[in-house]
Amino acid sequence: MSLPRIVCPYSPPLLQSFRGRSVAVRVDDAARAAHAAYDVAQSGNELFCVIVESRLPLQDISLSEELRGIPLAVMAPSMGRFRDASEKIKAWRNFNLRVYLPCDGAANITALKILSSLGVQSCALFGIGHDDWEAISDLMTYAVLGLFPHASMEPFSFIAKNYDAGDYLDWGALYFDDPKKFLHLDGEGRVALSRAEREAGQFVAGCLAECDAAPALAAVRERTRAWTANFLNNTVCSRCPGWKVCLGKFSALLPEGSGCSDFFASMVEAARQYKRLTAPPSEMQVWRP
Amino acid sequence: MANILLTSICNRSCPYCFAQREMADASSDNMMSWDNLIYIADFLQSSGERHVSLLGGEPTIHPQIVDFILYLIERNLDVTVFTNGVVSPARLREFEQYFGNGKVEKLTFVCNLNDPVLTPAPAEETDRLDAFLSAMGPFVSPGFNIYRTDFTLDFLFDTINRFGLRRYLRLGMTHPIPGKKNLFIHPDEMQQLFARLYSYREKFDAFRVKPGLDCGFPICRFSDEQLGWLRRISDPQFSCGAAIDITPDMSVYHCFPLSNYKRKSLFEFDSLAQIHDHFARLRGQIKAEIAGIYPECDGCKYQEENICGGGGMCQVLVRFLNEEPVRMMEIENELAKNRLPL
Repeated sequence: MSLPRIVCPYSPPLLQSFRGRSVAVRVDDAARAAHAAYDVAQSGNELFCVIVESRLPLQDISLSEELRGIPLAVMAPSMGRFRDASEKIKAWRNFNLRVYLPCDGAANITALKILSSLGVQSCALFGIGHDDWEAISDLMTYAVLGLFPHASMEPFSFIAKNYDAGDYLDWGALYFDDPKKFLHLDGEGRVALSRAEREAGQFVAGCLAECDAAPALAAVRERTRAWTANFLNNTVCSRCPGWKVCLGKFSALLPEGSGCSDFFASMVEAARQYKRLTAPPSEMQVWRP
Repeated sequence: MANILLTSICNRSCPYCFAQREMADASSDNMMSWDNLIYIADFLQSSGERHVSLLGGEPTIHPQIVDFILYLIERNLDVTVFTNGVVSPARLREFEQYFGNGKVEKLTFVCNLNDPVLTPAPAEETDRLDAFLSAMGPFVSPGFNIYRTDFTLDFLFDTINRFGLRRYLRLGMTHPIPGKKNLFIHPDEMQQLFARLYSYREKFDAFRVKPGLDCGFPICRFSDEQLGWLRRISDPQFSCGAAIDITPDMSVYHCFPLSNYKRKSLFEFDSLAQIHDHFARLRGQIKAEIAGIYPECDGCKYQEENICGGGGMCQVLVRFLNEEPVRMMEIENELAKNRLPL
């Protein structure tokens, strides 16, 4: 089994503290992204991507030419006015980039659609409260079953492509939230199992080396099986038709009846439809006795 | 090609306006949304279309017109904006900032100009129009709607020169809106109108301006001499085809004068070709009863060879409504009885 990737802030000393890992390095300013990518390579680690966590709208984020080819995850609170973002969006099509926007309002939901329609890969952040599930459902329909080819919009495109009626599907890795695949380090090198837990100061190990110790491993194992609690406690998620593609991700975050269930049921239906539409034509078989 | 109506509001009230019905029925908050615009762009591109026109009302009233134009251009569509040029100072500053000095290719304005004497406008409107033409002149083709037989074109040549407009004049002939009372050119007046147009040939030649005929001009009312002149300097069309207007609420209809006739929802179609087929069928049904605006359209070789559309379908429909309503009713009833699509 491969080692989980490391998500850590851009800090040269921190990067020097471990070797041979695949690293997603976080910066809060796009201007530092190229330096961060360079320093990851110099530290003896492999760059997985640079995560730009900006407080600025997309219209105010500039990506330098040095970043071409470097995998980028750009997280911004909004797009800003299209007229001011359009020149940048045009250039971004040539970058190896995915834009993350929160679905916290109609403007951002429209922005995700605009980005996707213009060939920029994007990712919707939802389940953060005050979600307009109907609008998110429309967005999902556009992403999965839209008339015209457009750039992928996650997690919808991922779910549609990987949906398997006979299995569960976890798409947390799209948000770097999957302890089997990503461990989050804070500036001091302490290890958390998710971004939210890092922000909340909930760590499972004091440093990366401690991750092989029994308590940390137990925490990871417990986390990866956390979904079973929904069935043990007979929560509303355990009876949800969208369970297979949600795994109760929002059970602790959203109140019952918030609308996520209807959305994920639609998501499953759209994924089935997508599979039907994209299935290779079956070979004609001549009947034989 | 398709026309996207960004809003049904207009800041002028031209006496001949053939969008009257559409504007009268619409509410003031009826504006094209981003979601619908993206759907339309997808629809057009999946239909293989490469050109789109933005109309209104007055499209420059839409608060997001600059964003919409930039977006459609990013979608690889050529954009033509049909405007009356009465643009607010704030909007004009936006146009200059984002489109001025050739910042974007693939954008053209067609500015509908009214005769300042025969169709006077308040000074504020004229000032705004002048400011628009001064700023955007090189990207503007002039347009003129003929709604009376004593029209003049002199002011147009002056305007083209003064503001450096493109030397292609889009000439429209105003059409009736079935059931409304707008000013329009009656079929009996067309020969006289074309003669008057021809009287300006020296100015067209001297100023090197090419006339372009909009829909509904019947070829038979031009003399051979007039046709020869038109053919020499341009490529005149004498057809009446579906303009395909798409409203903010995603209704789709044949053209402005026929905005209330058999309109459908865009969502009922999978491609632009299907919409064209739908309206071609409707035209066929009407033309099967009355071939064109003149009795001699029946059996006319130009119509049979699709060189001429026999005038505008709206004119034909007005004949149905005004002169032979019972006959139309019979057609509709018969079609309904046989469960044929209208």
